[in-house]
Amino acid sequence: MSMLAQLVVTGVLVGSVYSLVAVGLTLVWGLMDIINFAHGDFMMISMYTVFWLYALLKWDPLVSLPIAAFVAGMIGLLTYKLVIKRVLNAPGLMALLATFGLSLFIRNLAQFLWSPNYRFVGESILSGKRLIISDVIVGLPQLVAALGSIGMTLAVALFIKKTKFGKAIQATAQSREIAELMGVDTEKVYMFTFALSGICVGVAGTLLSGIFPVYPESGAMYGLLAFVIVALGGFGNIWGAFYAGIMIGLAETIGGFYLGTQFKYAIAFLIYLLVLQFRPKGLFGW
Amino acid sequence: MRKLLAVLVVLLSFVVMAQEVIKIGAIFPLTGAAAATGVKIKYAVEVAQEIINGVYPEINLSLAKSAGLPNLNGAKVQFVFADHQGNPELAMAEAERLIRNEKVVALIGCYQSSCTKPASQIAEKYGIPFVAGSSSSAALTERGLKWFFRIAPHDGMETVFFFNYLRYLNEKYNANIKRVAVVYIDNEYGVHAALMVKEKIKDFPEFSLVADVKYPVSATNVDIEVQKIKAAKPDAIFHASYIGDMTMFVKKYKEFNVVPKVVLSYCGGYQDPQFVVNLGKDADYFAGTNATTPALFAKMPILSKINEMYKAKSGVDIDGPTLEDFASALVIAEAINIAGTTEPEKILEVLKTHTFEAPYFVSEKIKFGPDGQNIYSASVMTQIFNGVYEAVWPEQYQTHEPVPQFPDWKKR
Repeated sequence: MSMLAQLVVTGVLVGSVYSLVAVGLTLVWGLMDIINFAHGDFMMISMYTVFWLYALLKWDPLVSLPIAAFVAGMIGLLTYKLVIKRVLNAPGLMALLATFGLSLFIRNLAQFLWSPNYRFVGESILSGKRLIISDVIVGLPQLVAALGSIGMTLAVALFIKKTKFGKAIQATAQSREIAELMGVDTEKVYMFTFALSGICVGVAGTLLSGIFPVYPESGAMYGLLAFVIVALGGFGNIWGAFYAGIMIGLAETIGGFYLGTQFKYAIAFLIYLLVLQFRPKGLFGW
Repeated sequence: MRKLLAVLVVLLSFVVMAQEVIKIGAIFPLTGAAAATGVKIKYAVEVAQEIINGVYPEINLSLAKSAGLPNLNGAKVQFVFADHQGNPELAMAEAERLIRNEKVVALIGCYQSSCTKPASQIAEKYGIPFVAGSSSSAALTERGLKWFFRIAPHDGMETVFFFNYLRYLNEKYNANIKRVAVVYIDNEYGVHAALMVKEKIKDFPEFSLVADVKYPVSATNVDIEVQKIKAAKPDAIFHASYIGDMTMFVKKYKEFNVVPKVVLSYCGGYQDPQFVVNLGKDADYFAGTNATTPALFAKMPILSKINEMYKAKSGVDIDGPTLEDFASALVIAEAINIAGTTEPEKILEVLKTHTFEAPYFVSEKIKFGPDGQNIYSASVMTQIFNGVYEAVWPEQYQTHEPVPQFPDWKKR
């Protein structure tokens, strides 16, 4: 029983971080209908930001968080300005290919600048600390990562739902032309959404930098899982992405433990395929 | 006048011959998940190229004494690098490109066994020699290939070495090690290592296999893997993992307080010096086979000189897998030199029959058996103490006594 409890806790912690990566993606894919293949690479850049601030200035990852999030946000904004804007009115495949090229560029640039070595943020105020609640071990870095992810998801969801600008994002997602007719500056909406997406993944990268190695391919698997989670949760649905992330985390840990650790991602992808068969819009899509 | 012209033509032809460049393909993961190791191997192969093409009288190797290959009029050797990114299909495509377009006369590579396998099949198809340095899957030399040779001990040899080491710890230190777990990445390297454990354990009846934990390539976390290991309560853990995943495992062992007696690693992440850099004190007491360790440099002056050249490029000491790939570059160049030609059949004959000097290995020589496997294992068991890889077994190479029990994580 304590093993099952341990697996559930681990699944929720792992899934929460997946969720935050996916929330950033669902903003641009779900709302703007643009597939950003470089999404995981934005996360990698934020992880390097944290690593270098730690290695050179001995800053704790939690202190670096605003800077790393800002850097990832700026990369999101620049991606829109320099890449996406130019292919916005072209067939959808163009934006997809452009971001795929951008992903390759960012990874290779990271390798060129910082070498392909695996690096870790060795010491932080959280590292090595853990809570033990009746045989269930919870690593403090994972707990903080999960809580940070939940907090950030909540903030983004409230922003989209409650603020005027959030409503402009929703309007643009439903119909760009009509939103423009209503006076929405869609250019600004796109730009800001990309920046917000970058901030989300930047926060996720910062929270992960204490538990996952920093290297040029750091974001690859997270990026891939984020695509599955967005499709599973329903395009553009922030809470959908959140719940789907938790679901994938639980499927990975519980399924992986009982059916074989080598199948942990296969189980997650199988759930995704099954859901798409019955609900192509995703579990929480409209 | 005609005589003068004839002499000039002969002289010129000698100059042209002397400037001939012999190309050898070198396929490694220069980008992608294993690029950290691949780039280091590239530096080592570049050092081998410098030794072959330059004059280094202080290094007692036949190809270091004169510039280029002496039996081919001082022809220079050029290693043409290709990047397989850890992708077997790309390794195959690059092997084909190097042979057809770059006209390489031999191939070395590919670090990951999963890439060495298809790339060496292409070399077999075209009938040119392939010398693998560090790829350790035993399956590579079980295919009956004519053109394939491998320097590193394969995982079957490593597994027997591991069990013999455990037996030594039980006998000498009364370590009481019985329960073994194998943890491995889901690729050619890991899967075959695990297969070897299941096969070889039958010859060591005092041990039992209590956990078999396979994890996906590019895992985002290893939480459940470590929980499975912890539940099995192994005395010894055999790891077939690369640097990124190995580091994550150690962090999780600490978090979940997994305290085995020994952790032994196949040729992979443990041997990368970054392992100690990343983990600091937490890397202590981990162990594994290694073709070399900095602790041995003081005893081996040629290795020390090679390391000096390597460190100037890479910034770190040479490690086991890197030294094995360095050896592959020297061996193929020496085989071409002894053959005195780039004709594949003649190079093959040398590779099959010659015993190559390798004073940078503890075994000091390399000789390939009928299956292409180097019959002289260069490995020693190393264990990390205060961030230093010390040789702990066999006893004649010992630089530190082994510790057959992990201390509690809190007491480090």
